Amino acid sequence: MRKIFLVMGCMALGWISGPTVESPAQGKSLSVQDIVDRSNLAAYYEGKDGRAHVNMTITDSQERTRERRFTILRRDNKDGGDQKFYVHFSRPSDVRNMVFMVWKHIGQNDDRWLYLPALDLVKRIAASDKRTSFVGSHFFYEDVSGRNPADDTHELIETTGQYYVLKNTPKNSDEVEFSHYLLWIDKTHFLPMKAEYYDKNAKQYRLVEALKVETIQSHPTVTKAKVTDLNSGGHTVSVFSKIEYDLGIQESIFTERYLRRAPRKWLK
Amino acid sequence: MSTSKSSIINFPLNHPWAIVAAVLILTLGLGLQIPSIQIDTDPENMLSEEEFVRVFHNQVKKEFVLYDMLVLGVVNEEHAEGVFNPATLEKVFHLTRKIETLEGVIEFDLLAPSKVDDIQQAGLGSVRFEWLMPSPPKNSEEATRIRDRARENPMLYGTLLSEDGKALCLYIPIQSKTLSYRIASQIQNYLNGLEGPEQYYITGLPVAEDTFGIEMFKQMAISAPLAGLIIFALMWIFFRSFLLVGAAMVVAGVTVICTMGLLISMGYTVHIMSSMIPIFLMPIAVVDSIHILSEFFDRYQIYKDRRETIVHVMRELFKPMLYTSLTSAAGFASLAFTPNPPVKVFGIFVTIGILLAWLLTILFIPAFIMLLKESSLKSFGLNQTSSGKSSMLERLLKPLAGWTYKRYRGIVGWSAVVMVISAIGISLIVINDNPVKWFEKKHPIRVADKVLNAHFGGTYMAYLVLEEMQDATGFQQSVAVIQKELTLRIEELQGDIPQLANIKSEALQQVRSFADQQTSSNKFSVAALLQKLEDKATQQTQAAKADAEAWDEVSLFFNEQKVQHQPFKDPETLRTLERLEEALMQSGAVGKVNSIVDVVKKVHYELMEGNREYNVIPKTSAAVAQTLLSFQNSHDPDDLWHLVTPDYQKANLWIQLKSGDNKDMEPVLKTVTAFFENDSGGKPLLAQWAGLTYLNVVWQDKMVQGMLKSLLGSFVIVFLMATFLFRSPLWGILCMVPLTVTITLIYGLIGFIGKDYDMPVAVLSAMTLGLSVDFAIHFLQRSRTVYPRTDRNWLKTSEEMYGEPARAISRNILVIAVGFTPLLISPLIPYQTVGFLLASIMVVSGIATLLILPALIRMAEPRLFKN
Repeated sequence: MRKIFLVMGCMALGWISGPTVESPAQGKSLSVQDIVDRSNLAAYYEGKDGRAHVNMTITDSQERTRERRFTILRRDNKDGGDQKFYVHFSRPSDVRNMVFMVWKHIGQNDDRWLYLPALDLVKRIAASDKRTSFVGSHFFYEDVSGRNPADDTHELIETTGQYYVLKNTPKNSDEVEFSHYLLWIDKTHFLPMKAEYYDKNAKQYRLVEALKVETIQSHPTVTKAKVTDLNSGGHTVSVFSKIEYDLGIQESIFTERYLRRAPRKWLK
Repeated sequence: MSTSKSSIINFPLNHPWAIVAAVLILTLGLGLQIPSIQIDTDPENMLSEEEFVRVFHNQVKKEFVLYDMLVLGVVNEEHAEGVFNPATLEKVFHLTRKIETLEGVIEFDLLAPSKVDDIQQAGLGSVRFEWLMPSPPKNSEEATRIRDRARENPMLYGTLLSEDGKALCLYIPIQSKTLSYRIASQIQNYLNGLEGPEQYYITGLPVAEDTFGIEMFKQMAISAPLAGLIIFALMWIFFRSFLLVGAAMVVAGVTVICTMGLLISMGYTVHIMSSMIPIFLMPIAVVDSIHILSEFFDRYQIYKDRRETIVHVMRELFKPMLYTSLTSAAGFASLAFTPNPPVKVFGIFVTIGILLAWLLTILFIPAFIMLLKESSLKSFGLNQTSSGKSSMLERLLKPLAGWTYKRYRGIVGWSAVVMVISAIGISLIVINDNPVKWFEKKHPIRVADKVLNAHFGGTYMAYLVLEEMQDATGFQQSVAVIQKELTLRIEELQGDIPQLANIKSEALQQVRSFADQQTSSNKFSVAALLQKLEDKATQQTQAAKADAEAWDEVSLFFNEQKVQHQPFKDPETLRTLERLEEALMQSGAVGKVNSIVDVVKKVHYELMEGNREYNVIPKTSAAVAQTLLSFQNSHDPDDLWHLVTPDYQKANLWIQLKSGDNKDMEPVLKTVTAFFENDSGGKPLLAQWAGLTYLNVVWQDKMVQGMLKSLLGSFVIVFLMATFLFRSPLWGILCMVPLTVTITLIYGLIGFIGKDYDMPVAVLSAMTLGLSVDFAIHFLQRSRTVYPRTDRNWLKTSEEMYGEPARAISRNILVIAVGFTPLLISPLIPYQTVGFLLASIMVVSGIATLLILPALIRMAEPRLFKN
């Protein structure tokens, strides 16, 4: 099963890419599962690894802002399989060198680590549900590491000139706070451009948008993404820069050893 | 004077229909405004909207995203594990789901077991962020595990669950206080459908305040008309004429309708205070009518002509009625100078009502009598003169003339003793109020209040907001340090990044000019300055490609500086907060304090393997920052912003109190003041209060002081008016005696029985003044008229005074005292208080007038009647 919701996660972190050659006309004959798979493929498995600098601005309902600046490294074990993430913080300066590391597993719980330099502490974060905040932003951990598409049933509810609109309903609704969400997948590059989340009273409460797509190393890539919390009125915007694919990051970087000793070479 | 007086007296006798028509038009015109009534039960409005504490309170609510809260308690006394059994928790789970869907509930800030996050150990080297109760527990082990975890969490213990595990509490934030009654009713409806051993309780200041408003509206519709009915019945017993008594009731009714109509048409809301206007105006309006009717009743059978009788009655009563109305009006008008807007409105409109009642009495009553057929008055006052049989009142009052004459020394002596004892009572008065206590003890809100405060840290909320002191000197010093550090940093890095040399002067210049900008607008926040500098440097990173790296270093420098100027990440400042929390907990009334310190300690402790030694504030601010960033990987990272602002410049202590009484809140305020006077640990902090419990203290304080000033002010005014009326300061003093005695005695009594001095008690002092002076003026003015007719003999004068004038006063006492007994059965304590005090005021001031005044006149007869 391909995981299109990794797409959301990658989109959040800004280096979603798509195949450069794609015929929109083909879409018409695609089945729902095809779209899900295609989107997943297009968004996720381009490039063996990648790096991006992320500037995250969290704004609350009173327009007060907070910044997070970090560099994110990603490495795929194999296409469609496990992945590893390394997130290194640089701002605010008092959380500098904090690291958040994820080993994403297909079909089982992810492994997560947190390194807190000021406490000289490496901590594993035990698996719980994935809909917790990512470092206080409006992005969820699941937006970052990906929601397993097998957890939802998918339904193509509309095909517009530009998008496939999918309705996704969780198979186990007790584990998540939404009743369903709608996803707008671009017909050209198969990147998900918008997601609307609805609560158990069918009221929309959350919106995820791709605000800007650029082509980097011939991969269409989201370089600006936004999550809005319609309940609290806050939102988070992530801007991605210095994106590079296929750097050849070695697997050993994604180990506990490098939590304490940031791999400067890859973080620049 | 006397020609205008007789033309006023004659006008209604000559043009009765004109008067009736005018009254009708006025009543209809203003009465039609009443349906557009706007009720306002918010005690916050006891303070003006511009009042600093109120502005600050609203600012704090906004800054820390705080909402008014309903508190819903669930108690299970039957199950061995209390509420922590699968059945009860399942109910709580579904109850929470239900509450989330109610309109007006701030769903994402709801505090309930299924809505709070917990951080805990998850095996070696691991922590877990998890909902406390993601779904209802399947068995009793899971249920008790929820309890044990919540117990481990200082943010939840005592707030969400009780110490004994028998109870848990949901805190329901709502959009606006005015929705609380509706939301509480919707929750109650749902609860009514639940079965099982659980007890449910809903309380919290917002629901108390809003519910009071709803009940108040009912009381206005029941008590005031019922009081009117009883007054009517009593007056009928005295005067036996539906028509004449009806006329007096018309005066009272028209006064109330017109005054309320005017108040509403002028756009004022009907606050708890103004809802009492009808209750205050009715006795005052009826009093003058009773004087006229009483005199008319006693005289009619002598003249047997209504016109002649009226002219006689009006000549006799015009002056005392004018003066009593003016003095009463002065008493209430003085309330216009109090600092509480609703009290002002109340004072002004009661004043208007009193003057209107006076006008109606002297115009409408005579006009009405003129419109009656002479034959319908035939039997009026008949039994009194013809049968020779005296009424009970008469038999009771007659002997007092001789008794007060003989026993005057005893009367004066005992009165003095009573005054001294009362003064002791006054010294015992406790100034206190609590909107929850406006309900009777058996009212569900009172019961809930008692039960939940026994189980939890407290259902009353107060907020203490702390920030660092900022001043010009400190600001300039910090700016100098920043400049110096920036220079050092640039010099240090210049070797690696040569472009730094190009931008050095510009960067330093920016520090200077941004600092000057702030100084010129009197803003001394170093944090704000650094934020601006960082933003500017970041902008330049993007703008100036060649110097980007250099500007990035400068921006990083400012970010580091900014982070150092975040007091509530600083362990030293956090330790001050920790000590303050301890002091608060030891003060007694505080049941629970939640603050950023508790979050930091709890997360630090869990990160450090749950080792008790680490249940402390980390040593460096970076460690604090990283602890807090770890916390923000939870479901509700924004919970942090209830306790600290995102820039870490201000912290909020969420204080739960077991009592909402002002007298319990005040020691807490003192504790904080004393703490900052004595604590020398950290940097100086500015502490300011917010929260409904605190606001109540402030308005109460203002009201008590305002009332005291207004009472003293009106005391002086009334004295001057009485002196003017009698053209003698001695008579003026005499006039003040009954009201002084009454106020002293009533407040002495309040002190002795331990009744709190609250809003209604404070307002009744104005009422006492108004009514007591009324009796005194009538008594003295008429004594002075009678005295020359009785060969200047006080004994003979007093015998006449214990005739009609004393009867009029006694009738007044009875009518008003009994008339307001319906208030005693009201479920609202302030109404009971008013009912009880009105009766006491009437009785005491009546007795004071009828016993002490004659005794004093007897004592000072030669001096009082010199000419």
